[in-house]
Amino acid sequence: MKSISKMTQAELAAYVQSYLNTKGITVILSGGAAVAIYTVNKYASPDIDLVDVYNTERKKIILAMKEIGFSEKHRYFEHPDTKYIVEFPPGPLSVGDEPVKSINEMKFSTGTLRVISATDCVKDRLAAYYFWNDLQSLDQAILVTKHNHISINEIKTWSQTIRKMREFKIFDEKLSDKK
Amino acid sequence: MLEPLLGSKSSEKVLIFIEVFGEGYAREISRFFEINLDPIQKQLDKLEAGGILVSFVKGRTRIYTFNPRYPFLKELRAILDKALTFYPEDERERLFMNRRRPRRRGKSI
Repeated sequence: MKSISKMTQAELAAYVQSYLNTKGITVILSGGAAVAIYTVNKYASPDIDLVDVYNTERKKIILAMKEIGFSEKHRYFEHPDTKYIVEFPPGPLSVGDEPVKSINEMKFSTGTLRVISATDCVKDRLAAYYFWNDLQSLDQAILVTKHNHISINEIKTWSQTIRKMREFKIFDEKLSDKK
Repeated sequence: MLEPLLGSKSSEKVLIFIEVFGEGYAREISRFFEINLDPIQKQLDKLEAGGILVSFVKGRTRIYTFNPRYPFLKELRAILDKALTFYPEDERERLFMNRRRPRRRGKSI
């Protein structure tokens, strides 16, 4: 097994996730680390957001993380041998008000990584743009769309459902500009 | 009203305040309901950690609002709206008559 100091972000996420799984804690990778994976690191984030799907008791997470050398600081977890920080956003796993159903599995020497699909990753980033006008998230949504096979129609339908068609059009136009 | 469901009176007060005013900060909520700051701050922290609220800093104040990405937000707000219809008239009046729209500096209140 690789040492934590030598693990890439995805390998570390897989390691933590697999360890927590042995403790009965179900987490799925989302957020900036998912963007990094789907853009082959064109986007870099120090965060590893593992959504705590079933809202595990916090004490149980703290204990399990401690067993693999992480300590809690505010609501993040740090390890002395890595720059990456792990956070457990609360479940349920959703984009907008829809549950996330499709999960991708990736095998690493450090464990199996379960991550939201590229399409949900785009929706997740777009949600941050739609609701908070976060332009960095819009750029990330465009990057993920360009690097993966994403159904724009599905994104459009979802945007319609959450009444964000004006914002979707901006995304769609920027996507065409950057092609 | 919703204490059995939400687990505490402070939690209900925080959520009702944010439902009515759209946003709020700890001291403002505690002053409005004339209750201690500490339980209000604890509930705000708890609701933020649970993904129900988000916060942003304006000047030196941390302001809380509903997380538009919370998957049960529509349903939660429907419950809060319904609970408000059961509130005593004087409490409802206080909530709804509290001026929040802009008023130019220097104009009499």
